Amino acid sequence: MSVGFIGAGQLALALARGFTAAGVLAAHKITASSPDTDLPTVSGLRKMGVNFTVSNKDTVKNSDVLFLAVKPPIIPFILEEVGPDIEARHIVVSCAAGVTISSIEKKLSTFCPTPKVIRCMTNTPVIVREGATVYATGTHADVEDGKLLEQLMASVGFCTEVEEDLIDAVTGLSGSGPAYAFTALDALADGGVKMGLPRRLAVRLGAQALLGAAKMLLESEQHPGQLKDNVCSPGGATIHALHFLESGGFRSLLINAVEASCIRTRELQHLADQEEISPAAIKKTLLDKVKLESRSVSLASGSKVSLFTNKHPSSKKN
Amino acid sequence: MGAEGRGLQRAMEAAELRVGFVGAGRMAGGLARGLLRAGKVPANSILASAPSDKNLDMWRESGCRTTHCNLEVLQESTLVILATKPHVLPGVLLEIRPAVGPHHVIVSLVAGVTLQTLQRLLPSGTKVLRLMPNLPYVVQAGAMVFARGTGAGDEEATLLKNLLSSCGLCEEVPESYINIHTGLSGSGVAYVYLFAEALAEGAVKMGMPGGLASRIAAQTLLGAAKMMLETGEHPAKLRGDVCTPGGTTIHALHQLEKGALRATVMNAVEAATNRARSMAED
Repeated sequence: MSVGFIGAGQLALALARGFTAAGVLAAHKITASSPDTDLPTVSGLRKMGVNFTVSNKDTVKNSDVLFLAVKPPIIPFILEEVGPDIEARHIVVSCAAGVTISSIEKKLSTFCPTPKVIRCMTNTPVIVREGATVYATGTHADVEDGKLLEQLMASVGFCTEVEEDLIDAVTGLSGSGPAYAFTALDALADGGVKMGLPRRLAVRLGAQALLGAAKMLLESEQHPGQLKDNVCSPGGATIHALHFLESGGFRSLLINAVEASCIRTRELQHLADQEEISPAAIKKTLLDKVKLESRSVSLASGSKVSLFTNKHPSSKKN
Repeated sequence: MGAEGRGLQRAMEAAELRVGFVGAGRMAGGLARGLLRAGKVPANSILASAPSDKNLDMWRESGCRTTHCNLEVLQESTLVILATKPHVLPGVLLEIRPAVGPHHVIVSLVAGVTLQTLQRLLPSGTKVLRLMPNLPYVVQAGAMVFARGTGAGDEEATLLKNLLSSCGLCEEVPESYINIHTGLSGSGVAYVYLFAEALAEGAVKMGMPGGLASRIAAQTLLGAAKMMLETGEHPAKLRGDVCTPGGTTIHALHQLEKGALRATVMNAVEAATNRARSMAED
């Protein structure tokens, strides 16, 4: 089986690293393409032994499972470009937040009568094989196609099938989730440093604490509330600390975050459906014209390409 | 079990336990009412004393005996409940001290007066226990904790617990928990009334008549509490059981979390506990 990535950014790199580390796929069975060869992730992919090309069409030709690993607004243009090369044998897997199966099937149906489409939402820890992935199968994708993807994604973490209408919520929770965790860890480390710990040690301990807690929860039958209670001895340090968290509305902040990410995903989908993005702005990143632009334009984060006026420069694919 | 203990046990079993109350106000009345309703003690085995008749009428109506003489309570009763106001107690203790004997079991309901103080003002070796109930013991749904003094043994603790279990939940604790119990459950009853009122008000806002809303609010609290007590499950789990994905409950809970309800409640328990502690030191 060969796997292709349209787009050679963070997601493609993370998945490629994960699959090869898991041993489910050899690097030379992976192809990745992007018009921009200067992306830092491109050199990472090359170093791994992945076949890198600037031709999306080549990627399609050389793949059975084709991951669309580009930013959501770019998806329609990719589909236009590679649509003619999609065959019945291809399994097209879109990882783009907010992009619906029906929108992909609609675009591809002009080229291929029964395109196999699977929509998937994963997250960056696939890179260390602790990803959280969900997928929903499209009209023409069989049970076996879903299982094939599930096998691939299960090699890099947890993977389960869901109804498509839940995927935006998953985006809010586990798609963005690692960012919440990184923010928490940064702050926890600050707390440690404030109380006298060297930074490296504080980061290491904070990360291990979260890792351990997550592992305990996953392996336990108990409710997280119960596990929390087990740590809180009466009148002790932990309960004092928790009171601070509650006073700050810690819980509601997290609920708000998941909600905001989910809602934003839906907004993006809505905007994409209406194709409100200027094609010129998109084509800038697509075509070879990009090489004629100034080298100082950084495309890795997409920060110079303002597809939405309030887009956060630090956001990756969501 | 000592001779006195066996005597007490037999007395209780034969419903011959004579219970006396020094002070006949709301706390004492609540306890007596609870005992009577549970049938633990016949009314005529109860003797209550108070300086004036103001509070004693209700006792007489229930069939209890009354007096204005504290010493008489000590002479007539084995189990003596001290239920005066805190500032009055030291004087009362000095007054009854001559009549206190090794057969007596003295149970203090007086807020903020420590076992150390009680034992200092009573003959050494007196069996003293300190009890902190909450008001719903009147309807036999109280939450009560008690701590034993140095002179009180297992027999007295067991007897008190058996007697009071008729009024609700009764647990023995170290004395240091008593102030916490005040913050949690003594005052806690008021927090629940506040919450119930707010629930009902929300319903009224949404169009339900107040009386109905109030009754339903109360039943909701009762039902939820009953589920906690009967299933023994963690409240977080019970909460999750009610929350269907994307449903009404989780939307409402989000509002509560936004309002930092949890922290506010923790603050309340802390404030009441601290106040109990500082009042005890006065």
